[in-house]
Amino acid sequence: MDAGRLLDAVSRDKTQVLPEEAERVATVGAWRVVVLNDPVNLMSYVVLVFRRVLGFDEATARRKMLEVHEQGRSVVWTGLREKAEAYAFTLQEWHLSAVVEADEAH
Amino acid sequence: MKRIEVKLAVPVVAPLLDVIRALGEAPPVPPPGVNVPPDADPDLRGAWIGELAAAESTEVRALLALFDEAFFREGVVAFDAENAEVILRACSVLRLRLRESYLRAWGDDALESGDVEAGPFEPGGHKAMACFLFLATVQELILQHLGDNILTN
Repeated sequence: MDAGRLLDAVSRDKTQVLPEEAERVATVGAWRVVVLNDPVNLMSYVVLVFRRVLGFDEATARRKMLEVHEQGRSVVWTGLREKAEAYAFTLQEWHLSAVVEADEAH
Repeated sequence: MKRIEVKLAVPVVAPLLDVIRALGEAPPVPPPGVNVPPDADPDLRGAWIGELAAAESTEVRALLALFDEAFFREGVVAFDAENAEVILRACSVLRLRLRESYLRAWGDDALESGDVEAGPFEPGGHKAMACFLFLATVQELILQHLGDNILTN
């Protein structure tokens, strides 16, 4: 099951959101998907996952992987919360340690 | 369809399969690396963890299915575009589980560098480390020969 369907399934029965509230949620800040380093997953595996899940080209995927490896974390995507959650879920399906954080800069 | 066949030494691999089976049969706990978003409601939290746990179970079963009666007769396992992704993921989660269960004493630097010639093993650690390295080799083979297939799937 992909993350989009998971999130759809979860939100289906929720209380109806008022239009003004939906607009506020859609515009309030940005959210970051951050991948954290782990000592287990191979570098080549992480590069493949970044290319497969996030659509990075080889060079970008390698650069982001090295950020994770050397700095312990890398921001791999920024945007609306729902999509950030979907990306984090998919990265976790690939067994990368991915978290969603509020982007304080926005 | 591209396919690679790997000949393995059955007497060497069989004990490692016992480790993998034991990990696969362990009581269900959240998979390693699961991080549910902050402020997630209970429904999302439950679905998030449940889906990942179910996926892990499917992956481990797919890996173990490679080592069937034919494998014990001929010592050959095959990887192709159809099973490459699920096997790759199975290896990843099993290596994470091995670290959690048996390899903590090694420290992250040793595991990351692969410099595991010496060190303090916990009970069952020798077999677990052999399994950890075996699964990495399987991943490297798949990435090298079938990585492009996974990207285009």
